[in-house]
Amino acid sequence: MVRLTVNEQKVSVEKGANLLGAIEKLGIKIPTLCYHKALTPYGACRLCVVEVHVPGREPALQASCSYPALDGITVFTDTERVKRARKIVAELLLARCPEAEAIKLIASSLGVTEPRIRKKNDDCVYCGLCVRMCEERMGKAAIGFTGRGPKKKLEPPFGKHNPVCWTCGACNFICPVGKKITVLTTQKPFIPIPNSYNMGLDKRSAAYILYPQAVPNKAVIDKNYCLHLNYNVCGICKEVCEARAIDYEQKDNKIEIDAGAVILSPGYEVFDPGLKPELGYGKYQNVVTSLEFERILSASGPYSGEALRPSDKKHLKRIAFLQCVGSRDHERDYCSSVCCMYATKEAIIAKEHAGEDLKCDIFYMDMRAFSKGFEQYYESAKKQGIHYIRFRVPVIRELPETQDLVLEYLNEEEKKVCSEYDLVVLSVGMVPPKHIKEFAEKTGIQLNEFNFCRTSVFDPTGTGREGVYAAGPFTEPKDIPETVIQASSAASRVISLLHDVKGTLIKPREYPPETDVGGQEPRIGVFVCHCGTNIAGFVNVPEVVEYAKTLSNVVYVENNLYTCSNDTQDRMKQKIKEHDLNRVVVASCTPRTHEPLFRNTIREAGLNSYLFEMANIRDQCSWVHMHEREAATRKSEDLVRMAVAKARLLEPLQKPLININKSALVIGGGLAGMTSSLELAGQGFEVYLLEREKELGGNLRRIHYVLNGEDPQNELKSIIEKVKTDKRIHLFVSAKILSIEGSIGNFKTRIISDREETEFEHGVIIVATGAREYRPKEYLYGEDERIITQSELEEMIASDAGFAKNGSKPNTMVMIQCVGSRDNERPYCSRICCSTAVKNALKIKEVSPDTNVYVLYRDIRTYGFREQYYTKARQKGIVFMRYDADNKPVVAKNGKSLSVKVFEQTLKLPVEIPADMVVLSAGIIPDQDNKAVAQLIKVPLTQEGFFLEAHMKLRPVDFATDGVFVCGLAHFSKSIEESIIQAQAASARANTILSKDNLELEATTSFIIDENCDGCAYCIEPCPYNAISLIEYMWQGAVKKIAEVNESMCKGCGCCMATCPKRGAMVRGFTMDQIESQIDAALQAV
Amino acid sequence: MGREIKSEPALLQEVRKYGQFDVGGCYNCGSCTISCPLSGNLTTFPRRVMRYVLFGLKDLLNSSLEPWMCYYCGDCSTACPQQAEPGEAMMTLRRYLTAQYDWTGLASRLYSSAAWRIGANFFTGLFVFLIVFFYHLYDVKLSGSDFFPRSMPLEHMFPTMIYFTLAVFVIPIALLLTNAARMHSFIIGRENIKVPLSLYLKQLGTFVVHAFTQKRFRECKDKGRWIKHMIMVSGFIVPSLLVLFFLRWFQTDNIYPVYNPQRWLGYLATIALLYGSIETVIGRIRKKGQMHRFSSPDDWVLPAFLFLTAVSGITIHICRYAGLAMVAHYAYFAHIIIVVPMLVIEIPFGKLSHIFYRPLAIYLHSVKQRAAIEQNNLTEAKVA
Repeated sequence: MVRLTVNEQKVSVEKGANLLGAIEKLGIKIPTLCYHKALTPYGACRLCVVEVHVPGREPALQASCSYPALDGITVFTDTERVKRARKIVAELLLARCPEAEAIKLIASSLGVTEPRIRKKNDDCVYCGLCVRMCEERMGKAAIGFTGRGPKKKLEPPFGKHNPVCWTCGACNFICPVGKKITVLTTQKPFIPIPNSYNMGLDKRSAAYILYPQAVPNKAVIDKNYCLHLNYNVCGICKEVCEARAIDYEQKDNKIEIDAGAVILSPGYEVFDPGLKPELGYGKYQNVVTSLEFERILSASGPYSGEALRPSDKKHLKRIAFLQCVGSRDHERDYCSSVCCMYATKEAIIAKEHAGEDLKCDIFYMDMRAFSKGFEQYYESAKKQGIHYIRFRVPVIRELPETQDLVLEYLNEEEKKVCSEYDLVVLSVGMVPPKHIKEFAEKTGIQLNEFNFCRTSVFDPTGTGREGVYAAGPFTEPKDIPETVIQASSAASRVISLLHDVKGTLIKPREYPPETDVGGQEPRIGVFVCHCGTNIAGFVNVPEVVEYAKTLSNVVYVENNLYTCSNDTQDRMKQKIKEHDLNRVVVASCTPRTHEPLFRNTIREAGLNSYLFEMANIRDQCSWVHMHEREAATRKSEDLVRMAVAKARLLEPLQKPLININKSALVIGGGLAGMTSSLELAGQGFEVYLLEREKELGGNLRRIHYVLNGEDPQNELKSIIEKVKTDKRIHLFVSAKILSIEGSIGNFKTRIISDREETEFEHGVIIVATGAREYRPKEYLYGEDERIITQSELEEMIASDAGFAKNGSKPNTMVMIQCVGSRDNERPYCSRICCSTAVKNALKIKEVSPDTNVYVLYRDIRTYGFREQYYTKARQKGIVFMRYDADNKPVVAKNGKSLSVKVFEQTLKLPVEIPADMVVLSAGIIPDQDNKAVAQLIKVPLTQEGFFLEAHMKLRPVDFATDGVFVCGLAHFSKSIEESIIQAQAASARANTILSKDNLELEATTSFIIDENCDGCAYCIEPCPYNAISLIEYMWQGAVKKIAEVNESMCKGCGCCMATCPKRGAMVRGFTMDQIESQIDAALQAV
Repeated sequence: MGREIKSEPALLQEVRKYGQFDVGGCYNCGSCTISCPLSGNLTTFPRRVMRYVLFGLKDLLNSSLEPWMCYYCGDCSTACPQQAEPGEAMMTLRRYLTAQYDWTGLASRLYSSAAWRIGANFFTGLFVFLIVFFYHLYDVKLSGSDFFPRSMPLEHMFPTMIYFTLAVFVIPIALLLTNAARMHSFIIGRENIKVPLSLYLKQLGTFVVHAFTQKRFRECKDKGRWIKHMIMVSGFIVPSLLVLFFLRWFQTDNIYPVYNPQRWLGYLATIALLYGSIETVIGRIRKKGQMHRFSSPDDWVLPAFLFLTAVSGITIHICRYAGLAMVAHYAYFAHIIIVVPMLVIEIPFGKLSHIFYRPLAIYLHSVKQRAAIEQNNLTEAKVA
């Protein structure tokens, strides 16, 4: 070790180290240009000069990168002499390369903006980084310097392309002025590694983090590209990694897993539009896929979220979306279900990014906004100026001069229009993953005609092989909520299969007994995280450490390179014991990701896990004050002081435990309710199944056939049979709920069934109350028996008399879509009516081929694999005519004859169809009892009256209220398979509660301080979780009112605490005292 | 809603009698119509007429000119994402319309039944055979046994042959003209447009230009097809004109020198016919072009007739020059038996009718359009 002094601070470094290393060890930053940690110091730029005092010699200026750290010397890094020297160096560098951003930055940091010397406008600063990189790290020496003095030149030997160059691009990468050095050394173009996260729109290195939010958020090395792994050169990453985390020896591992069941969720791939050369994808730079456009618009994307186009980074003014690219064609006769909505979403976001003036045209055939809330979203997009054009554009042309794109289409009046766009987005569909056939063979499952997983209507998550289940777009193209639901459904199937052995491999974690810290003076330990350059790069961590030591009650402070690393956890435990710490503060990143880890660590050290506080000096400090090191350091100190102030007042908290009643209440005995009940019963739980009607089956009783030919009535019979014979299912028909009390884990419900009152207790509730077909008021419904609804038609066809009960089959039948859907009163799309109409029309053609069937529609929404039946219907000669919402068809009755008049939208012609029968595709409306049920279990409804889930996308079967779940049509209109999937999903969600003996609740909940509460009830209304109620009791002969918190419902949000005028409501872990102490600490410095 | 047009659901079935018409694939996307270089702002096709058929709008279909605007390059079928073959549907509609214009009803029978087509041509041929046979028996007064060994110069058949030829050309032209009247009533008669006679005369040039140049054909992407078609047309038109107006000069025992138009016109026409018919047949066998992928009987009959006409013509010529007078005589016999059905059956009732209907449709369309413009101007003037 050698010891030296830098700016009057002592530092010791290993022998042989350079001076720069010693200076940086102290956290002192000095400018460098030609220096790189992994390359031999070169001393070319002289920016890093410092004043070196060697005892017995004159003080001299030396380049710190190439001067050794000698024992006993004294170094000054910012004397006037040093500053002057650096300034002159910067001026010289700037004169050579006045346009290079890196040089400008260095110069301006040294106070130089304009050189006094004549500018040379060179593209090389002669730092020699590329030369050393190529020779030392790549072992190639493809480039070097020739000549001396003013004749010095960067060139390959003999000035010719050098066969030694292997176009790795390391020279280009390291060049500080952005010179393309490979152009000198080789004629081969250097192709950077495309960044797959940004769909190849930008580049990445071979060692990379997949994307900022990747889980786990760890760097990986791409072994296909890494030069070290392939050629045993480079190896720079290992040297520069401060955490010493690089391990080149890692190999692929074969892992064998013993599993009782398998869930397949290989997902999907987007269609490769290169297969349609007429669209010019791959040929024209400004034709992108929707996923690429998603990246373009993303803040973490290649253009940082600016709406630019790839070819020239021009701001977007006009964009077009082409729908159904790779969907709904003769090879892929299915609808990808999601493209209409994602195009709409991207158009809206693009407008947000590029401004209101952005012209967004979406070319579509049928707008498929069929899910909950989607139709309303589509309508709002139209109001925001997004232009929908009903046309499938077959060809994209490029104007070579401008790289603008030309689309030709027919407008509403059937006139040819030619439009130019800056960018065309191809809304690519979903296709099965590559190699799916081998995958299917290995897993022993069947694929359907489109190479998706083959499933059936009544077993929509099963693959046909027992114990193997499928979820996600692998079974059919689908959106996020449907994917999340099906994932839970698959989980439920697995639980049912394996419930006997559930939990047998789990080993409970054992903790040492908790130390009682009651009455002890706080002894606080502070751990400050360096986090590589993440924090230390912008905050002077040693100063923060020193500051923390000055705070009262702080008995131990240390600085960790990575506080979250495994060895630091052990160290932390050791220090807690060593210094007898009873409160711990970590100053690092966000509690969102790391609090659970640290809480667990101190618990393992015997401390209650709530004796912990975090100061977020990364997200809230270093990341947002990157250019203000001094101020950021002060702010970090403030944050640490606040955390310590709160830590002093921290009290141990215990998570309350509640017992779980292992039974479920299922409301509704339709398909969803019965499926949920069977799943839960199969998983070993008692189920109370309530049905309002006398019979089970709900809407399924009226469905007599399905598109793929399965027999729903047979299935229904067997489901009802199973429900009735299952001993765990307690069935109550003709039932009515009188009251539901309690909360998650412990509900108490009173019902009346067949005039008999019953009461039972249960741990969860599943709402499966269903919905019903709208009874039309329009189109003369009810005035003529030949005007019926789709379900009436279905019953008529299925009945023994058949639909030819008048002796003759109808000659012409007209179906009218969107009856009671997509209008002002009910602005939503009922999702299933198009498929139902197609199904019934096909059935008619089957039983009576001569009947002419017309379907009057607005958009045909046969999503997913239903599309092929729409095609089949057209092939069978079923006529689809489009009408507009503003010009609805008219059903007219002239004497005995019926006719339907429709203004056909493609031809813009009024057409009259003589009809023998008119079938109304009536929408699905929420059940009239929903309101009452919602009030009983305190859950919200949507505006339309369907139940509102906790989160439309990510928690589609949960309610915000714990222990209550929704499935089936009660949630929204859906098909049989979707109802079954959601019912199974609800069971899986219920299982997460029922499978536990008791439930650990959050400790940081609200509590009422009795002596402060005067029962004013102000806190009840603001509570978003209905966790507070007012109770009355007799006290000293008078009635006293007081608020009471149900801990199992409280989420600790603090609304009550903020509302209470009397300090009567507090949240544990965030009490008024604790928060006040933090505020006081924050203001202390002022 | 205005005056509704009645939907006749049976229309699709009727159209399908005339060939392939796959509306099942069609989901109304419009790709076909935008891909067609001929489909402009005034007539958009094929989507519109396909919808007419599907929706059962028979009157609109019968009065539509769009099928005649199409020269079947097949770009629409290539562009169709559902492979519904709109190009072939247009072909079917041309057959359908030909049958609609035909008041005799024979066209409809010929198109819907191959037996009728073969039979009609066969019996016409047989009829010609009998005429020629009895002409020799009673007019030339040959005895039955003289038919084989004797040869004789061509002179004997004039002027009877001229009247016969005239009749062979006049019959189809007369039929076509009466059909044209029906076509006119479909197209203009049913609309609320008054067309002054002067307009018909003014626009007549359109008919002539399009009949002889097929210049709209050149707007298709593949220009080569126009040339090939032009060659075939001239191979048909040139001998027709020669036979109709210069029969005596053209069909003679005199041997002219090679530079005489009688010789080289004949040669060129024969080469054109052979090239055109063989090219078409090969194309249909190989199915390489989009327009050759589907072939109905009449698609085969026409090139076959043209080919046989050319071959029998060559045989006559060679035999005559080789001094095989008797063989030449029989070859001529065969030639007539081939040519007459082609002219009498295929022109008014078959595929060949398009040489008349296509320019007529373009002509009527321009008349109608002009009339509409003038009427608009009038109303505007009145309003002003």
